[in-house]
Amino acid sequence: MPGQAATHAEHVMGTVVSFAVVPGGLAATETRAAVETACAGLHRADTVFSTWDAGSPVSRLRRGEATLGTMPPEVAEVLDLCELARTASHGWFDPWAMPGGIDPTGLVKGWAVERAADVLRRAGVAAALVNGGGDLTAFGSPGPGQPWLAGIRHPWRADALACIVEVRSAVATSATYERGGHLIDPFAGRPAVGVASATVTGPSLAMADALATALAVGGDDALAAIGGIEGYEGYLIRADGSEADSGDIRFVK
Amino acid sequence: MKGMKRAPALVAAGAITGFTGILIAHAGAGVPLAAGSHPLAAGPNGSAGPATSATPTAGSGSGSGKSNPARRHKSSGPAPGGGAHSVVGSTVNFGYGTIAVRVTVAGGRIASVSVARLSTLEPTSQQISSQAIPVLRSEVLAAQSVSINAVSGATYTSEGYARSVQAALDALHA
Repeated sequence: MPGQAATHAEHVMGTVVSFAVVPGGLAATETRAAVETACAGLHRADTVFSTWDAGSPVSRLRRGEATLGTMPPEVAEVLDLCELARTASHGWFDPWAMPGGIDPTGLVKGWAVERAADVLRRAGVAAALVNGGGDLTAFGSPGPGQPWLAGIRHPWRADALACIVEVRSAVATSATYERGGHLIDPFAGRPAVGVASATVTGPSLAMADALATALAVGGDDALAAIGGIEGYEGYLIRADGSEADSGDIRFVK
Repeated sequence: MKGMKRAPALVAAGAITGFTGILIAHAGAGVPLAAGSHPLAAGPNGSAGPATSATPTAGSGSGSGKSNPARRHKSSGPAPGGGAHSVVGSTVNFGYGTIAVRVTVAGGRIASVSVARLSTLEPTSQQISSQAIPVLRSEVLAAQSVSINAVSGATYTSEGYARSVQAALDALHA
């Protein structure tokens, strides 16, 4: 909120992670240190999980040059979450069905941003919102009695919003309008078509990120699956501009 | 509310695209939405005119076919606080054409957003735009009454960030 939250933008993971931090009782130096620690974690996640860097641990895992046992421990943690997301999404999120080997990218950014927010929480800041290139999570309150509010970007207009939602914890959106047809339909094995924008809200950003990927690929079929998961909701903008949601998303507008 | 279908609706937030636009000082507090001629009336490559063209409008966006009155804007009054200024963002390709948006900031908040320039590529996109623009206008003032903290959207690149509403928010609150 204007005048209350300190902001920081970190270029990492091929995107920009924006922080809005309400320090509360925390000193400015401690707050800054917490944001720096959070950013260091993001850079480490980038180093470990990058599929662009051919030398990264996950790239070596993808090529079969290394086993899971030799990976940093967070790789197994992320793959466990991927397995959970695959089951929960009825297979619409499936890192094991990607061309070129296992690809946890659809969950990693959400996971890393969620950890960054946890760093701030543990450091004692009163409230924060961390937005990793469009996937965000928040805790606390930006001001007395105020919820965090997030706009969902309009799929055809970088400068417009489709709606505004109250951020209870995590909000993730997946679509191809920013980076092209990178979403693979795990059942068809080819780029997915037909969904303009897919948003998932829920307690965990790692899970919401993965489920948003599933929703972008699976459309209405995946929406039904996501609506059935406790705590998670989906909001879909179809290719024709029509919208659907699984209920219980707190739309402000 | 399970399975509730929501009518298409476009809310606008101010994109101050890269802050490369022209800064124009306004004497008043808040600039109402540009009414005047519809940008589409000028056809492809049409322009809504100079950055200062702004006329008060009431009930803009009527006939947008929206079925959810809760998502209509409730206020069309001037923005709180003084010292309003306007920024016309750079022209951005939105997939079906190009658009440049004028954002007016007053008291540290987005007071209004209007379309400064719009050109579309094909008849279908003109259709999309002609549906979108009136709704955009009607919802713009909602961004005034509801100050958002962040924007959720498909992952942008570092370059894409510069054009994002999130970048505008970060700059606004920095």
